[in-house]
Amino acid sequence: MKVRLFFATDVHGSEVCWRKFINSASHYEADVLILGGDMTGKAIVPIVQTGPDHWRYHMLDITHELEGADELAKGERLIRDHGYYPVTLTPEERDEYTSDEDKLEELFHEQMRKTVASWVEWADAKLEGSNIQCIVCPGNDDRFDIDEILKTSKHIMVGEGNVLDLPEGYQLASSGWTNLTPWDTPREEDEPKLKERILSIVEQATVPPERLVLGLHAPPYDTQLDVAPKIDWETLTVQGQDSAHVGSTAVREVIEEVQPILSLHGHIHESRAAVRIGRTLAVNPGSSYVEGMVAGVVVDLDGKNKLKRYRLTSG
Amino acid sequence: MATDASKPAEQTLFVRKASGLVKGWSSTDGFRYSFFSTNIFLGIWGFLYAVFIPGGSVFWSIIICTLFVLLECVVYAGLISAMPRAGGDYVWQSRVFHSSVGFVFGATGWWFILWLWIPIYAALCVNSFINPIFRIVGLGSWADWLLTKNGVFVASLATIALATYLVAVGMKAYANFQKWALWIGLAGLIVGAILLIVTSKASFIAAFNREMFQQYGARDAYAATIKAAGEGMPSSMFAGTLKDTFYLLPVMAFWLLWPNWGATLYGEVRGAKDFRKNIYQMAGGLLSAVVIVIIFLFLVTKTMGWTFFEASANGYMGALYAYIDPAKLPAGGSYLSPTAMTAWIVNNSAFQVILIAAISLIVFGWWGTVFLSSTRMIFASAFDRILPEGVAKVTSGGVPVNALLLMAIPSVIVSAFYAYQPSFVSLTYDATLVIAAMFLMSGLAFMIMPWRAKAIWENSALPKIKIGIPLMSIVAAVYSAFMLFLLYKWIYDPDNLYGIGYKNKNSMIFMGILYVAGIVIWIIAWSVRKRQGMELEAVAKEIPVE
Repeated sequence: MKVRLFFATDVHGSEVCWRKFINSASHYEADVLILGGDMTGKAIVPIVQTGPDHWRYHMLDITHELEGADELAKGERLIRDHGYYPVTLTPEERDEYTSDEDKLEELFHEQMRKTVASWVEWADAKLEGSNIQCIVCPGNDDRFDIDEILKTSKHIMVGEGNVLDLPEGYQLASSGWTNLTPWDTPREEDEPKLKERILSIVEQATVPPERLVLGLHAPPYDTQLDVAPKIDWETLTVQGQDSAHVGSTAVREVIEEVQPILSLHGHIHESRAAVRIGRTLAVNPGSSYVEGMVAGVVVDLDGKNKLKRYRLTSG
Repeated sequence: MATDASKPAEQTLFVRKASGLVKGWSSTDGFRYSFFSTNIFLGIWGFLYAVFIPGGSVFWSIIICTLFVLLECVVYAGLISAMPRAGGDYVWQSRVFHSSVGFVFGATGWWFILWLWIPIYAALCVNSFINPIFRIVGLGSWADWLLTKNGVFVASLATIALATYLVAVGMKAYANFQKWALWIGLAGLIVGAILLIVTSKASFIAAFNREMFQQYGARDAYAATIKAAGEGMPSSMFAGTLKDTFYLLPVMAFWLLWPNWGATLYGEVRGAKDFRKNIYQMAGGLLSAVVIVIIFLFLVTKTMGWTFFEASANGYMGALYAYIDPAKLPAGGSYLSPTAMTAWIVNNSAFQVILIAAISLIVFGWWGTVFLSSTRMIFASAFDRILPEGVAKVTSGGVPVNALLLMAIPSVIVSAFYAYQPSFVSLTYDATLVIAAMFLMSGLAFMIMPWRAKAIWENSALPKIKIGIPLMSIVAAVYSAFMLFLLYKWIYDPDNLYGIGYKNKNSMIFMGILYVAGIVIWIIAWSVRKRQGMELEAVAKEIPVE
């Protein structure tokens, strides 16, 4: 029987994207949902209390003045939908976080844990009673403790480092680790170590390549899936119109050697594409989380040894 | 909830180390892209068609058209800001309207019509720079051959080969070349401007007559040009009625509509500032090009004389459209390149060649990328499964071979028609019309975005100022009305001023084929995908949130 997968990635803290991802199973009539990493947000927006019932925050270069609890709740929701964490602070607290990096680091940690926990709770309620298999694999931007929070879910399976059974005898081998980036993120390492890590996961698979799906956050090097604006690693500025291949050679080598039926990637948001590497279809659906849109890919596997069709989506 | 775009001094965003947090495209790069796109030589080439509307003021039509195109900068900056990295007009229209609308207008505007730009590019290049250089160095027979049917076709093939090569292997080096091209080109323009400033009209006439005698054997060519083709031409760039000046807007659109051509590289931590930055980049490129052209026109008036300038253009168009006998023209109907005429002021062949070559970089720095946007559009529709997967195939060396073939092969066919079927030259403005139709649809998409794509609108950092309805929608409505005006003038053209209206059957058939092809491809894809259980419309349909 046919199996339909829906894969999306890099929602980066956007609550609206997380909810859409969970709802995408019925939207695309998918049997399996896979989120390919980078769940957590990149920034905190301080909502500063300026009076007993008055707050102010600044987002996307616009200052918002909030009066009353209702407006505060609305503002928090807007911030979360953009992928940022809203935190209500006094001016003194804000200044403290500005000057104390460790304290800010702990605040980020707390927000990520809290948000992932609330997302898990929401997803569990939504997925209750459905036959949908939902797999989430953290990415290089996600800290390690979110894996533990995901494991508390009743309906979400954690991909990192595991080989998971999919319907009709397919298996998914996942890792959110990537090759080195200029941002020194939690799950990144040099290419030889990354290859070793991925191979050690793939070795756990018990199905032939035509029934194996890889879910690797880093895209394969030198493909259409890994093209990003060239940036200066010191200043983190874009270098003109120049682009560069920034994917992983380890990932490419593993795909070339193992030749799974499908290989799912993310990490490079602007490199939305699908390519064939030998017999493998490799896809990076990209990410449009900043727009509140879920960029994804629907893949139909024929239940035997062929990939019937795929389509990139934006919903 | 009150909002205000002013920025407080205190910390307003805490950012952690995370991938993708870059500072975005530099303003200089964005500016350069827009400046090249609103190419001043496309403008000078486009002025040729102004001879058909001598009652209009060239100067005021540039100003009016620029004001409307500034609205385009706002509309596109808004679309980019609301839906960055989304794949341009094709995806914007698919999301706001329907997959079919996005594909038909996106494919015709970003893909099919660029086949016609190839021979136009080639003709502009050959006439403005290559032939003048050949004639200066004594290779007049080469220049003459390039104007034959075979020559036009070969020049188009060379343009196709260059564009294919750049997409296939050379974009990185070409991006670097662009940086140099801009500065060398601008340096050339400054030298040219200085020459025109310091040269009196009498000296220019003497230099022009000297070169025309050397290159074409023509005597007293300045006076002869005015005599042969100056009748009915305006005496000043300011002269003209308001009505005819508005009729010139579709002519000016040929070069002024394009500041929105690029600018797709944006960082993620973005906001209203990015929206403004996008406007500044596009408007900066547009206004710089306009200022340079206006300075040039003032200098032309001072040094060459406006009537002569118009007569030189009318002579070329008269010979091309067979309403002036080429034998009466000193250059026999050849295009008198303003760049070359400026270079001729100095009686030194090496200097002339170097100056023309330097200035030509303003053109060469840009249009090697003619296939780039098309291949992106082809890829996007292949990934959406409108086109077959094989279309997006890339070789092991990263060459998008099939997408390139889909550009190159039809371009060869269209170039052959352009070269060997004389009436095809009259379709020049189709190249603008079809893209303007796509821009119109994007303008309308932006206009209704607050209602049709509410989530994207509300999530965006665009100013939400309302005057009854959102200000952005009003801007988009005015811009769309301008696009409609242009389309109306091009199509309903009883006097055949632009040559592509309902009176030109070839134009109607050519454009009809493009749109029918777009519709047919979409319908086939729709029916195939429906049978496969993956409806095309679902690709851009929003997933429910709750």
